Amino acid sequence: MSGEPRRHRVQLAVIGSGLAGCAAALFALERGLTTAQVGHSGALAYTSGHLDLLGVLDGRVVDDPWSALGELQRRQPGHPLARIAPETVRHAFHRFTAALSSLGIGYTTPGDRNLRAPTPAGTVKPTLSLPCTMAAGVTAARERSATLVVDFAGLEGFSARQLVANLGPRWPGLRCTRLDFPGMEDGGVLYPEAMARALEVPATRERLAGRIRAVLEGASCVGLPAILGIHRPDRVHRALQRALGATLFEVPTMPPGVAGIRLQEAFEQALPARGLTLVSRQKVTRLQLGKEEATLQLHDSYGPLEIHAGAVLLATGRFLSGGLVADRDGIREPLLDLPVQQPPGRDAWHRDDYLAPEGHPVNGAGIRCDRWLRPLNPDGRVVHPRLFAAGILLAGQDWVRQRCGAGVAIATAFAAVQAAARHLGPGDGDSTPNPG
Amino acid sequence: MTPASPATIPTLDFKAEADRLLPPGASYDACLACGLCSSGCPASGIDGMDPRRFIRMAMLGLNRELSTTPWIWSCTLCQRCSSVCPMSIDVSVLVSLARGNWPPERRPSGIVRSCQAQLRSASTSAMGVRPEEFVDIVAESAAEVRRQGPRFRRIQPPVDRQGAYFFVNQNSREPAAEPEELGPLWKILDYVGADWTYSSTGWAAENFCLFGGDDDAWRAVVEQRVAAVNALGCRVWLNTECGHSFYSMWRGIRRFGLDARFELDNLISWYARWIREGRLPVNADWNRAGLRFTVQDPCQLVRKSVGDPAADDLRFVARALVGAENFVDMQPCRGANYCCGGGGGALQAGRSGARRSYGRRKFDQIAASGADYVLTPCHNCHSQIEDIGRHYGGDYRVVHFWTLICLSLGILGEDERRYLGPELAGPGLPDRGDDGDG
Repeated sequence: MSGEPRRHRVQLAVIGSGLAGCAAALFALERGLTTAQVGHSGALAYTSGHLDLLGVLDGRVVDDPWSALGELQRRQPGHPLARIAPETVRHAFHRFTAALSSLGIGYTTPGDRNLRAPTPAGTVKPTLSLPCTMAAGVTAARERSATLVVDFAGLEGFSARQLVANLGPRWPGLRCTRLDFPGMEDGGVLYPEAMARALEVPATRERLAGRIRAVLEGASCVGLPAILGIHRPDRVHRALQRALGATLFEVPTMPPGVAGIRLQEAFEQALPARGLTLVSRQKVTRLQLGKEEATLQLHDSYGPLEIHAGAVLLATGRFLSGGLVADRDGIREPLLDLPVQQPPGRDAWHRDDYLAPEGHPVNGAGIRCDRWLRPLNPDGRVVHPRLFAAGILLAGQDWVRQRCGAGVAIATAFAAVQAAARHLGPGDGDSTPNPG
Repeated sequence: MTPASPATIPTLDFKAEADRLLPPGASYDACLACGLCSSGCPASGIDGMDPRRFIRMAMLGLNRELSTTPWIWSCTLCQRCSSVCPMSIDVSVLVSLARGNWPPERRPSGIVRSCQAQLRSASTSAMGVRPEEFVDIVAESAAEVRRQGPRFRRIQPPVDRQGAYFFVNQNSREPAAEPEELGPLWKILDYVGADWTYSSTGWAAENFCLFGGDDDAWRAVVEQRVAAVNALGCRVWLNTECGHSFYSMWRGIRRFGLDARFELDNLISWYARWIREGRLPVNADWNRAGLRFTVQDPCQLVRKSVGDPAADDLRFVARALVGAENFVDMQPCRGANYCCGGGGGALQAGRSGARRSYGRRKFDQIAASGADYVLTPCHNCHSQIEDIGRHYGGDYRVVHFWTLICLSLGILGEDERRYLGPELAGPGLPDRGDDGDG
């Protein structure tokens, strides 16, 4: 039996399988670049499905994220979103949501204002675009429609009662009820993923619709945890809505929810069909950046693999995904040992007030890049002309508190692919001008 | 491990075992308890257990409960949990360990007996088919095939032919229970002019010792097969339509460091190659009624060993056979596919209620696809998907690839159609007077 590595040669290798990595692979294919993507089972499955651009700035909820981007440029010029032209951000968002819709996961068209979407905690959250299966929840909350929120015996992490307790004072027509999920009445723990798969079967949908209809009592809207199918959820949504005779919307569940699994499975199927060399569920063990090319080494279940690429886009995420590693004496980037912008010492990572709304210095740690998304050395020089970075690995943002995770991922992926394509241009030389 | 009487299950220290088994730097402590593993596991809930609970209990030292839970015989070792885990935590390692920790007399007798049969016979057959019986069955079945018409007069399956390119294995189910399923495979190998042989020893595909958690026995079976292939000097051990047989051999050779002087390959990839080369000129003309087909990705072949190239080949062959417009994927599929519930020895473990509960998710997948037929290049998948179809009132049939290939080529005999519905009883019957060049 031979142990020779299998080799792939591409123009761009994307490392990372979260939102930034998948967006980068998508944008690269759209540009006609031969592309490989390698990534471990990423944090994509933890996403709510909401695509936030910029939801909070300096502790204030943002209504108009586009004008807030201008404010961000003034206040936090080092923020990744502050360094990309708003029209580029808008273009990237539109391309991304349109691509998702073409994969059968319809997303609302990003507008001029943030939407206010109900969350499982019974709060409303500012976001720019969300799955069409969740869209009616925004309208129902705004118009305070007579709405029944349903949860299910055995489903953990989603409480209709909690939603009503928190939203009810401002939304008098909101009611809740608990049902048994058809075919899962044995008293065990229920998982949204299993329920969503079951609702892809017409007979299960009909049984569920019957149970909900019996308790509607005049409600014009029905809110369900996000369980309306995984593959082609819009079809499940339409069919169940028709069977109910009421407007239907999903509310995200606690992770792992189906909204993220939908994206993950859709990308894993659709992008290889468009020519992507995808090595899923694996991590790159070694990355060498050479004068002629970059070489990625890794193993899949079958054996060793090598990917040779003209450029590499790092979208490896933060601590959860392993893009950054926190040690006793500092934060490091494990693949290339890139310089990490970080507080001077561990003592300075956190403020005394752990729940401080403005976050902690460590939240802004990450990889510092030039305007072409090329990682920089401490002296300001580019680490390597073939290397680009995107997503929340980047320094200078606090995606959790600023509600800007998808915005950073999608916009920087677009800009980094653009910069990589420029690098790969005629002659495959370093044609990018040096940053000023 | 605490001392125990033979009939009681010793208590394993799972955390200590995990620390011993994991590569340096990895730790089950890294579990975030996010639940992706359990969310994607069809065995979640059976016996009140699921992968996340298993790991958490191991970390909490609930060793007695884990040592004795019968859930380990419902987990099919499909590794879907570890493939979706952001921390790469492999629950199946601990489940295999727990299986091997049960005294043999407490393990499911079907798995134990099958493994013992494999160790007793030079055939390595779990169904006890001895070498001389195998040779006789092959000869008699080949005579039956030759009687189907003159174009099959060359069907003479070689046995123990030194230096053949392919060493072809065979799941014992065919010679032992349904020898009429052997013919389609031979016809295909004859059609493409393959240079192949069976072996009278080590020919069997299945490996139930792997499922018993008994590494020594797993190794012994693989060693016998490796010796048989080496002795004949074949270039490729060709795995027929059976998932775990590929994994047990491929993984076993690596794990036990065996001297295998040959490559391992699977028949589906060769179907794909022969179709691409024009040597198997299949088409979907027989499927004018537009019957819809889906395909089951065997976990052992796709997720656990070859990966996406095998999934690609499965689909390429399926589309060529049934027409691209009549092919529909189950969701999820490929490396993310759900195990059918028949893997890991579940079909022999005697816990049919739990097995069917597991299979409910596969049944839903098939129902959602709307397929009339499920193509299964794996015997365990085939049996399980048939069984859950009957149990849950499914309206589909389950079929091997070789059946459709021969159907498409017009060389499928009347007796070789047991898995086809009445609508396919007639199309493409070989003309008994036809002496085509095939």
